[in-house]
Amino acid sequence: MSQPMIEASGVRKSFGALEVLRGVDLVVNRGDVACLIGPSGSGKSTFLRCINHLEQHDAGRLTVDGQLVGYEQRGTALYELNDRQICAERSQIGMVFQRFNLFAHLTALENVTLGPINVRGETPTSARERAMELLRSVGLADKAQNYPSQLSGGQQQRVAIARALAMEPKLMLFDEPTSALDPELVGEVLDAMKQLALNGMTMVVVTHEMGFAREVANQLFFLDEGVVQESGHPRDVLVNPKTDRLSNFLSKVL
Amino acid sequence: MQTNGDEPLKVVPVRHFSRWLAAVVVGILVAMTAHTLVSRIPTGEQICRTVVDGAGHHVRRCHEALQWRFSWDVVGRYLADFNIIKGLGMTLVLTVLTMVIGITLGALVAIMRLSSSRLLSGPAWLFTWFFRGTPVYVQLLFWFNIAAIFPTLDIGIPFGPAVWHIDAVNLFTPFTAALVALGLNEGAYMSEIVRGGIVAVDEGQVEAANSLGLTRFQTLKLVVLPQAMRVIIPPTGNEVISMLKTSSLASAVAVVEVLKAAQNIYSATYEVIPLLIVASLWYLLVTTILSIGQYYVERHFSKGSLRTVPLTPRQRLARDIQGVAGKFRTQRGVRV
Repeated sequence: MSQPMIEASGVRKSFGALEVLRGVDLVVNRGDVACLIGPSGSGKSTFLRCINHLEQHDAGRLTVDGQLVGYEQRGTALYELNDRQICAERSQIGMVFQRFNLFAHLTALENVTLGPINVRGETPTSARERAMELLRSVGLADKAQNYPSQLSGGQQQRVAIARALAMEPKLMLFDEPTSALDPELVGEVLDAMKQLALNGMTMVVVTHEMGFAREVANQLFFLDEGVVQESGHPRDVLVNPKTDRLSNFLSKVL
Repeated sequence: MQTNGDEPLKVVPVRHFSRWLAAVVVGILVAMTAHTLVSRIPTGEQICRTVVDGAGHHVRRCHEALQWRFSWDVVGRYLADFNIIKGLGMTLVLTVLTMVIGITLGALVAIMRLSSSRLLSGPAWLFTWFFRGTPVYVQLLFWFNIAAIFPTLDIGIPFGPAVWHIDAVNLFTPFTAALVALGLNEGAYMSEIVRGGIVAVDEGQVEAANSLGLTRFQTLKLVVLPQAMRVIIPPTGNEVISMLKTSSLASAVAVVEVLKAAQNIYSATYEVIPLLIVASLWYLLVTTILSIGQYYVERHFSKGSLRTVPLTPRQRLARDIQGVAGKFRTQRGVRV
């Protein structure tokens, strides 16, 4: 068995007096599609943001591909990484946000090429070529020259997926990618994600889309009050919840 | 449109009587102003000439000599005067240089102010507090007289020996004093403008940039500042226009910019009002040009934030003419 992609043990995070993560333990293997579900405020988005160091966890051990996130261990001491090292870690982890967060002053194409040109040092020509390829794969080749404000929510989110993929990440994080979309636009984004899963991408998805979780995910983690309460294959977890909390939660969202 | 059987009902627009009344009052005031501008007043002299009347007699006819109330002839004479143009050049140089200093300093102070380190944000706050909190005129006089407390300036190791030194009187000429005073003052205002622009950029943009692996500097340069520009540009345009006029304060420390050039002339000729008009006309001209430039720069930076780019004035004029023409056509009952 190769090294897991994500390994978390006892990950804690507080915002002031509020402890959001109270010791999260989970393992995501290479090629897994893991869904994090749970009520709002359960800490699932915060945990996702800890994985690429948008939030810094206070305690516990969190590794991506065997490397500590945000720290380097030398002997018994943990050294905080500097800006450049953190950027190098992040550049290998793609992230898709609930509110898309496309760069408003750049066209769809420029959004996708920004990272490859400035972080990976690709030539503009090859970056543009790959970006067009990626936009085509999410069905948006004809929108390459449009600004985000000229795109629908579903189109923006698909550009955001292409933008993350342009960095050729080894791991993709999705933070409620369909929550800000009109219902009729959810399908197109889920389809793009499904395609990605079929291609073997390791994915961690914070979602309320139980259908997607059941159909695409092979790992489900139920978070509540900052702790993983239940986990396993969605088939088992969703059908036979072991805890009252989960059956309670499922009765509300299903 | 509502119909009454087959006949379309006539639509009667609302009559704005108060608006008409106000327009009449304003119209009269405008006419009075225009009349004053072109009015002539007697000079007190008589202009006489001898003419031959119908009976063959030579008659002396006199009338009072008149002159423009605003001495437009004098204005015209000095408008392109060499010294005035030279002063205008100084005004422009002062404006450009102080704005360059102000914007650079402002960006620096704004970024310091937003730093999470108190050691950087504190001094940045103090800088803005001080230079915004005292009148620019006082600051100008202060720098002009700085030699009184720092007779010499030394460059060397802090608190240690000096490597190089210069007399402050030589360094702080009227020009440099004006440059430093106006530049520092402008820096304080610009820092608030730049800070406002940076703060206005959605935090999600920074997070997205971070998640791609852009460094903090790259995020600032490629993502935050280009978007902050949309917020920064309009007030900066105002600052440039404002600085053009504020630079006239430099006349107080003997910098010969356009106002001082005008003063130099009228102190000899006593044609005070015409020369102030000359200076004002130049300020108006440059301000107009700057405003036009500002419009196009704003249009450029609105890219991506508006679905459609605003029309240029020429495009707008074409549209308005078409609109008015269309109105007349429909009123005559022709479908368009």
